[in-house]
Parts: sequence; structure tokens; C-alpha cells
Amino acid sequence: MKEFICNSVEETKDIASRIADRLKGTEVIALFGDLGAGKTAFTSGLCGALGCGDVVSSPTFALVNEYSGKYPVYHFDMYRVNSWDDLYSTGFFDYIENGILVIEWSENIEGALPDDCIRITITKGEGECERHISIDGMDDI
Amino acid sequence: MKILAFDSTAVSASVALAEDDKLIGSFFINNKLTHSKTLVPMAEDLLKKSNVSLKEIDAFAVNSGPGSFTGVRIGVAAVKGLAFALNKPCVAVSTLDSMAYNLKMLDCIAVCVMDARCSQVYNANYCISKGIITKLCDDRAVSIEELTSELTKYDQRLILVGDGAQICFDKMKEVLPKIEIAQENCRYQNAVSTAFIAEEKYKKGDTVSANDLQPYYLRLPQAERELKKRKGSC
Repeated sequence: MKEFICNSVEETKDIASRIADRLKGTEVIALFGDLGAGKTAFTSGLCGALGCGDVVSSPTFALVNEYSGKYPVYHFDMYRVNSWDDLYSTGFFDYIENGILVIEWSENIEGALPDDCIRITITKGEGECERHISIDGMDDI
Repeated sequence: MKILAFDSTAVSASVALAEDDKLIGSFFINNKLTHSKTLVPMAEDLLKKSNVSLKEIDAFAVNSGPGSFTGVRIGVAAVKGLAFALNKPCVAVSTLDSMAYNLKMLDCIAVCVMDARCSQVYNANYCISKGIITKLCDDRAVSIEELTSELTKYDQRLILVGDGAQICFDKMKEVLPKIEIAQENCRYQNAVSTAFIAEEKYKKGDTVSANDLQPYYLRLPQAERELKKRKGSC
């Protein structure tokens, strides 16, 4: 487990880009954290570093956004997913191993996450902009 | 009569054209490309190279499930569209039945398995003897563990077939040392088998209209496992 403390959105994005540099193309990245923690900012930093451009928006309504850069990136938002049937019908299982999956609100599908996924938890710290980012499943960051 | 059959239920995709117990041509691809982009062009190419026009097709067959959510929908949608436009009947074939057909000439228990993720498979078992295939259970979703213990009761050759064969083989070989895996050229679901099963079904009148053709999904037996949970994973 690796822990980081960030004091701005830029620092969060910087950590994300350092993770992006180490990806091989088929990882599942599970994001945990409350509303406003910075999950979308993190994803934006990750996708930017992978050359997907500045395209990231939260797929709360669409359930999944697809970006293409160095690898295809599938950006899920599981906020509205409440059952296995819901999850199955997002096509989630069809995306695994076909690109990088970044999953917001992983809390909702914890039971379906692959054993080897990278778990990233973002929590708010003391100050307005302070964030604690803990990374499980990727050590050499 | 001519049948054009489709499979896109998992990683591989295939199209086959059969006429009166004879295979005219087939197109099989197993390289993870998006079926939504490849399946219909594959059918187009196959018909063109076989010098058969779409209007000559008497029925459209499809592996209508089980399988991946999007894969099954792609195949069923393609066949629905073609059959609707040409006003021809459809034949729905279970993906698992089509896999068993791959081993038709081997006396064995065909253990047909599709990877359903989280150590689960879509499965049905078949007893094959002298070219007669007898289905031993309904299509179902089971854990690999459960299936392994069930298979210990058989004395016959046990042969795994399907896109889940390798995963099952790796997990089963300790408990079931005699378990075998179908050789590569008959391991995966293939529209060729779908076409021949469809031909038998067509002769029996077992067809559906484009309107009534439905994707067929198996519910995963995960009710006992929470989707939202704090600890553990699949």
C-alpha cells in the first residue's frame, strides 16, 4: 500500500500520470471515495497522461465513457449500478482485458472486482484542497 | 436449402454457410476485434466468395446465448435485421449445444464451458455416443468448483470445450486428472456447428420469426454473494 498527500487538483493529476506511466494496457483501476473527493480529476490526469486528450467527464448518466490514447480507456461510473443484472448489462465483463478500466464508485461493485485490480482510495484531508490518496496493488510509483 | 449461421457470443466470432448437410464456407476469427465491426462484413465476404446472394438464404441461425452481454446482442441483432428485411425465419441455437456438436464423433462426456468471470462458467454437459448427442442438464451458470465436484461421478472420457475450457482445465486437473481439453480446431464455439444444428431444427419446424428472436441470458448464481461489500473479492 502506498500513501500520498496532495494539496491541489494538479498534484492529484500528477500522481495519476505517474500511475499511467506504469500501466500495461489491461489493468482494472478501482476508485473509491466520496462525492467531490477527486475521482474524476484523477481519471482526467490518468487519461491525459495516456494521450486521450482533455475529454474526461463523469459518466454518471452514460455509465461508461470510452477514450482512446496509448491504450483504450473505459471509464465507468457505478453510482447507479445496484445489482449483478445492472452490472452485467453495462457490458462490464466484456470490457475486462480489452483495455484499461477506470471505475468510479467501485464501492458499488466490490464483489465483482478482479483480484488483481489496482485499488485507489481518495479521502479529504484537513484543508479544503488536501487529499489523501492510497494505492493498493501497484507499488513502484 | 441454405442456412447462414452466426456466432459472436464470446471472444471469437464466426459465420458459416451450409446447404443440405454440406458446408459451403465459413469464416472464423479469434483475435479480440470488435464483433460489431467485423461480424456483418464477415458474412458479406463469405457470401461473395461463395457466390451466393443474400436472397438465396432460406434461414438465418444464431447462437443466441448464453454468452457475453454485448456479444450475444450483436449476433442476435445482426440476424434479426437480416431475417426481418428478407422476411425469412430465424433459428436460435444454444451456444453450449453448438460447442458439444464440435465433438460429435468422439465418445465422451462433452463439458461445454464459457467463461462467465469470477470463477464461474456457463455450462451444460452432454453424453456423446456413436454420433448421438444427449444433453444431460439444462444450460446453467455454475461455479467451476461446483462443476468440478459434479464431474467426478463420470467414468467416461471428459472433454472440455468452449472459451472457458482452458480456465477450467487449469483449475480441474488436480481433482480430475483424466480431464481433457478439446484440441484447438474444435475448442471454440463456431457457426459451422450452429449451422448444422439449425438445419436439423429447421427441418423439425423449430424456427422463430425475426420479431420473436430473443437474446438468451443465464442469470449468474451470485445471489448469495453481495455485489456491494467492503472486504473480499471474486
